[in-house]
Amino acid sequence: MKSSKTLKTILLLSMVMAAFTACSSKGSDSASTGTTTPSGETKTETAAPEGPLTKYAEPVEVTEVMGFRPAEDPRTPKGLTPDKNAYLQQLKDTLNIDVKYKWTVPSDQYEQKFALAMASGDLPDILELGQKDFEKLRKQDMLADLSEAYEKYASPELKKYMESDGGFSMKVFSKDGKQYGIPSFEDPFLSTQLLWIRKDWLDNLKLQPPTTMEELDKVAEAFVKNDPDQNGKADTYGVALQKTLFFWGFDVRGFFNGFNAYPSVGDAQTAWIKGNDGKLVPGLIQPEMKQGLSMLQSWYQRGILNKEFALKDENKVVEDITAGKVGISYGEWWYPAWPLNLNVDKDPKANWIAIQIPSLSGPGKSLVPKLRSGRIYAVNKNMKNPEAAIKMMNFYIEMGKKKYTEILKPEKGFVYNWFNPRIYNPAQIDTIYTEVNKALAANQTEITLDDENYIAVKDVFNYVKDYQSGSTKIASKGTNWGGYFSRVAENGGWGLTRQIKEKQAFVSNEFYGIPTSTQVEKGSQLDKLMQETFTKIILGAPIDEFDKFVTSWKTLGGDKITEEVNAWYNEQAVK
Amino acid sequence: MKLLRKEYPLHLMLVPGVILTLIYAYGPMAGLVMAFQQFEPLSGFFKSEWVGFDNFTYVFNLPDFNQVLWNTIVISLFKMVLFLVVPLILALLLNEVTRRWFSRFIQSAIFLPFFLSWTVLGGVIIELFSLDGPVNGIVKSLGSEPIMFMLNNDWFRGIIIGSDVWKGMGYNMIVMLAAITGINATLYEAAEVDGAGKWKQMIHITLPGIAPIIILLGVLSLGNVLNAGFEQILIMYNPTVYEGADVIDTFVYRLGMFSQQFGPAAAVGLFKSVISLGLVSITYYAAYKYNNYRIF
Repeated sequence: MKSSKTLKTILLLSMVMAAFTACSSKGSDSASTGTTTPSGETKTETAAPEGPLTKYAEPVEVTEVMGFRPAEDPRTPKGLTPDKNAYLQQLKDTLNIDVKYKWTVPSDQYEQKFALAMASGDLPDILELGQKDFEKLRKQDMLADLSEAYEKYASPELKKYMESDGGFSMKVFSKDGKQYGIPSFEDPFLSTQLLWIRKDWLDNLKLQPPTTMEELDKVAEAFVKNDPDQNGKADTYGVALQKTLFFWGFDVRGFFNGFNAYPSVGDAQTAWIKGNDGKLVPGLIQPEMKQGLSMLQSWYQRGILNKEFALKDENKVVEDITAGKVGISYGEWWYPAWPLNLNVDKDPKANWIAIQIPSLSGPGKSLVPKLRSGRIYAVNKNMKNPEAAIKMMNFYIEMGKKKYTEILKPEKGFVYNWFNPRIYNPAQIDTIYTEVNKALAANQTEITLDDENYIAVKDVFNYVKDYQSGSTKIASKGTNWGGYFSRVAENGGWGLTRQIKEKQAFVSNEFYGIPTSTQVEKGSQLDKLMQETFTKIILGAPIDEFDKFVTSWKTLGGDKITEEVNAWYNEQAVK
Repeated sequence: MKLLRKEYPLHLMLVPGVILTLIYAYGPMAGLVMAFQQFEPLSGFFKSEWVGFDNFTYVFNLPDFNQVLWNTIVISLFKMVLFLVVPLILALLLNEVTRRWFSRFIQSAIFLPFFLSWTVLGGVIIELFSLDGPVNGIVKSLGSEPIMFMLNNDWFRGIIIGSDVWKGMGYNMIVMLAAITGINATLYEAAEVDGAGKWKQMIHITLPGIAPIIILLGVLSLGNVLNAGFEQILIMYNPTVYEGADVIDTFVYRLGMFSQQFGPAAAVGLFKSVISLGLVSITYYAAYKYNNYRIF
């Protein structure tokens, strides 16, 4: 009896307390909404601004969220945080816009944190979105129509960028004539797969750069067995690979392309290529994959792949590359800028070159997407000044001009990738390539170009100058080489990619729409099945497992996805 | 009421705990309605469509679900049994150590890993069992081929279970040691007079003396039968060992976080809770019936 009484009192007490807390939270809620409304009203009263960079008369507050990486430039002041980024002060001075961060987290936690923010409906004014989230929010009518703001306020440069692909990318993110997002898209050829290989190792072993898979197989084996670094120890292996087979680097997308198999556009997304009957087919389940898988299996057995690749993430692989343990990797144009530069700094003899991916019969065709747009900027429907987002884009582009060179110093706390919305020139890489090469050919000591690309071009030009003169005052030898060999060298990362583009040595990924409903529902299941099966085959499971995989893939939702993708292709593809 | 007046400071001290429980344990239960909705984050609980048991049928029909459920049960059953047996043996052994400093030292050494997070420990264990790691060093020195522990379904489960028991065993050991200290010393003296040796004393005095605690720990752990150790497995697993190590929690994590299917994820959560509640009730009743032991 006694105990039940105490129980009752405890319950009673807690209920009273709960009621109290509920009341108090309600009170504070109404108080806070009370204060926000009037200030919101004052905002709408501000005089209508005119040009792309006209300063607001009254301060305008804009909320954002951010996932950030450490600042890249070593000269950035220590302890600087994104909310203290000097860009924000500059923005305030130029446009009278105050950016408030609802939260900032290191970029690897961003995806989760943002998923939670979406789940709780607590969204900022300006949103940086992936394609999937963009579609989700658009469907739920959470995004503002930016057509008018863009028409009225976009600067000539911003418009030039958006029209550089004939308006293709913009069209993907509009619906019924309404523009729901401004994509930060890039030249899709940036995704071209190249084969990076250590020329000094080839020379040590008196081998030629491989052009066919057969030759690549021999070279890779020699890199394991014949002591390519000539240190007398068997401490090297052939090809770098990390555990996620289709990723953004150190993966086997380019490898499979060599077998005319086109499984993925990276980041575990299936690639869709045009089949013989004009329909789209998933590259992942085509019979060409089998040959590639059995070669990987044989590579694993012969030690060409690291025995524990299935446990290694990209950081571990980069450690191996830096330490000079591996001599071949498939990847995009930027490798010299990172991580090959680290290897060059560690081992001055290291000499990486890029070659077109080998295939069964000579240099092969890489998969290239139709659209390369990692980030889409959209505006919350409830934002009072949607044009502020467009103006901020104008502002970021404007800051690339020559007159800001003296202001825009990293030591003053300017960190470019902590600023959003950030739209680049989609053709920036090519502008850099041509402008720097032009300046070099004319023996210039300075860049004469004078538009919004100035600072980007100048930075690379300085790397090249320092690389050529051997100066390491500003950056290490590896960094200078990386800047030169990724963007400027004729046979370097972008140089070779240009040649491949000209030669038309590529196959297009035809699907660039937002994930279909079955992809959303079954995507992670199918991806898990793929990772599991492929990894096991490479580790030694019978190659026939692939056929079983194809059957399960189809029945577990793959067939339905294929239908949906083709429906999209017939109705919505911008052809 | 008279009692309440007399003991009100004690009840007052209880209040913060009760409030926290209400906020963090009972409050989130409202979220379980998601399990019956086609939950769209921005529409919230009130506007999302009701779909009845669709989420449950969807999840139970996923091809991996049986595998995942089986893995969860196997791993957690092993963990539960070992979490009772290993600390019990350790506690009994330590109880016989007469040098206090030595016993203290061993206790601390065993308890220490309990405080390390899996984020750190996971990396350490992967290194320990890697191809060039110290464990394979021993294997090689014994003349065998090195074993890829972390990529092998036969070994990986064992490593998951073993390392978790190693990490957490200190906690239960301390609880059991405390219980042993609480046994009336006169019982031992009486047993010695009756001619019982150390072994007999242990069987007839120590073990029955701490039986309630063992049952309590067992009952409490039964609630966790569908928790096989999310954090640990998430950090240590890889695609080659999904077959033996993918558990409900990692499954839900991928479902909820990567596919953003909140409805099905909540359905699995609710399923887990219902099973756990059932199990706890059954063991609690059994403990009461056969041992006359009650917690409440």
